[in-house]
Amino acid sequence: MAGAPDIYDEVAYAYDGTLEGLLSAIFASYANREVPTDVAPGARLQPRLGQRVAVIETNPEHAARVLSGVRRVGGWQPVLALKRAACSDEPDAGTAALRFVRYAMDEQKRRNCGTCRKKSCKGRGGGGPCPRQRGRAFSDITHPAVERLFQISRSIGQECEHMRQFVRFTHLAGEGQSLWFARCNPKASVVPLVMGHFVERMSDVPFIIYDEVHEVAGVYDGGDWYLVNTAGNGDLQAALPDATADEALFAEAWRTFYRSVSIDARYNPELRRHFMPKRFWKNLTELQETPGLRKT
Amino acid sequence: MEGGAVDVIEKLEILADAAKYDVACTSSGVDRAGKKGQLGATSAAGCCHSFTPDGRCVTLLKVLFTNACTYDCAYCVNRKSNAAVKRTAFTPQELADLTIGFYRRNYIEGLFLSSGVAGSPDRTTELMVEALRILREDYGFRGYIHAKAIPGTSVELLDALGRLSDRLSVNLELPSQQSLGLLAPAKSRTSILAPMRHIHDSIADDKESRARKRRSLTVYQSTAKPVRRARAFAPAGQSTQMIIGATPESDFQILNLSASLYTNLNLKRVFFSAYMPVVANPLLPATDAVQLNREHRLYQADWLMRFYGFNVSEIIDEENPFLAPDVDPKANWALNHLDFFPVEVNTAPLEALVRVPGIGVRGAKLIMRARRQSTLGEAELRKLGIAYKRARYFITMNGAYGGSGVDFSRDALHARLSAPIEGGRHGRRAAKVASGQMTLFESVNQPPVLPETSAANRAALDAAFEAQRRALAATAPAAAPHAPHPLPHARTKAAAPEPAFALAG
Repeated sequence: MAGAPDIYDEVAYAYDGTLEGLLSAIFASYANREVPTDVAPGARLQPRLGQRVAVIETNPEHAARVLSGVRRVGGWQPVLALKRAACSDEPDAGTAALRFVRYAMDEQKRRNCGTCRKKSCKGRGGGGPCPRQRGRAFSDITHPAVERLFQISRSIGQECEHMRQFVRFTHLAGEGQSLWFARCNPKASVVPLVMGHFVERMSDVPFIIYDEVHEVAGVYDGGDWYLVNTAGNGDLQAALPDATADEALFAEAWRTFYRSVSIDARYNPELRRHFMPKRFWKNLTELQETPGLRKT
Repeated sequence: MEGGAVDVIEKLEILADAAKYDVACTSSGVDRAGKKGQLGATSAAGCCHSFTPDGRCVTLLKVLFTNACTYDCAYCVNRKSNAAVKRTAFTPQELADLTIGFYRRNYIEGLFLSSGVAGSPDRTTELMVEALRILREDYGFRGYIHAKAIPGTSVELLDALGRLSDRLSVNLELPSQQSLGLLAPAKSRTSILAPMRHIHDSIADDKESRARKRRSLTVYQSTAKPVRRARAFAPAGQSTQMIIGATPESDFQILNLSASLYTNLNLKRVFFSAYMPVVANPLLPATDAVQLNREHRLYQADWLMRFYGFNVSEIIDEENPFLAPDVDPKANWALNHLDFFPVEVNTAPLEALVRVPGIGVRGAKLIMRARRQSTLGEAELRKLGIAYKRARYFITMNGAYGGSGVDFSRDALHARLSAPIEGGRHGRRAAKVASGQMTLFESVNQPPVLPETSAANRAALDAAFEAQRRALAATAPAAAPHAPHPLPHARTKAAAPEPAFALAG
């Protein structure tokens, strides 16, 4: 870049940690005609020796252009993978996303579809994107540029499934209105990815899913859902009303059920840990001691 | 929950404990989107919400409606003559409230409702229908419901039950009619198969009438009857379960029975439950060693039939009526069909890829996807998550054989592939060394003896099967001309293999 001192031979992009931020950074890579060695949220970026850090402003318009470009070239699968990468805690998630997008775009340009007879194909002679080639880039999962994004996307998908399985709601006694609250501790900030699932099945009551690790909360008010950043405001639960009187009874009923369905002759704790890792246990109702028992 | 909350918790404890030997706990098979303002939705893949200390999943609130039972099945903990069990029953309202409360807290995916026979099958089913009606109609619940149909229930009640639930199941209980007659005298082959067939027909009818209604929208003067807007009949299909190891049936008979259930009655799942002694009876094996290993192998074979395109005759034959305990059924097939291998991973069709030990359905699909772009070698296969350690002996990668250094013979490969189930576990209880493997410190390592393969267990089984055989001969002299079931340890060829359940009839 013009005017940059010579001591820097590499550049890193810092974005604000959102999906739009990540996509803006990818846009900036094209706009500035440079390939940054690292793309990461500003808070998590650790600059290397001889690396200049460029802070990328989030621009929703740029983000939308990148997303539609990726969709045109690769279909829905890489779009989902990019959304998941933006939620990841992995330090190289942003870099993997950028590397994939650049690879997919280049691959599309190189592809000569020669005998293609599709009317919508503009790619004869290796020009623009061809609909028949869509999705090819992301399906090459052993390619180094695709492999990492694929891995990240898969692990985030698994974390989403863990949230759908192990989130536990409690009923809070609100004034006049009932509120359901759940707290979770996922490995990645997946609350925005699973809110749709819970809104679909609990659309008749307002609820909050609070991610205590990333300090964000998904809030559903009975009509639409929002993502709220609670960082710096302490634990969200402290600001909420207590549980209803029923709550302890239902929790106790659930613990009783959990205890009685187990068959001792088949005891296999390794298998349980495999399916239900211990890091989730602290927020699971059935694995808490009964409050009455703890006192004695 | 109001006044009688503690009472309900007590009931829950008894009725969940009584239902825990039911194996099926799946919430899969039906996709139903949520509706604004209503509680619940289902997804075709299902969702497990918890796992018990024995590693089994908890998907549904699995309870009995009542554990009072007029039947006296020998293997069942709720049998009439078992005075040690305290009897109780939910009211339909209590059960519905409990289900809604659990569902809202994301404890469960829905309800699994079974029941002992209180008075008559019809009376019991009426109560179950009432509980489900409250859930579906009063509470507008759209989650998953699995209901057990009790043999002997009238057709009208079965229809009502099927309209309210997503999956229906009838327990086959035991793999042959002789055993059933001996151990569950109140049930018979016909009383179990009749509702299964009725459910199968109702599901087919329902699908057909719905399809006709869809088609009729484009036809002037429709010939299709206007279908009342009703819930679909058991849209997630039906399943069944049977107890393994309480009676002397072989794996050959069991797998052939499940294959015919899949083809003739379109069952979604056949569950196997390793026999567990819960009541003392001279006719039942008195041993604490649960046949988990055998159950596991049966499930592996079941998966091969349902997802891998294997025919039952490829998995097991009359000559060896029991699945090999040391290698899984797919590896066993591969060892017996070495002429099929090696398979070229870069060109082989999906059906050939899934037959390679170490490559599953998911791995085969990833291979198909990845090889459109690049040539696959060892590094690429490892990246895709293929169990290369096992697969290498059976594949070539762009012409290069993966398993060089090992003799391509049955015995050499068998030693590489044998994997005792205990060996899969981590930690203290793992058997670290595979059988037959040489170690520095012992001349040849002895294979670990599982409790279920011990001599004591064998003796207990033999004693029980002998008692069953004598009881059969005494009670049913008409059956005497028939050859008795071959005992599992005596690997003699059965003169005429008895069809476990004749489904054609």
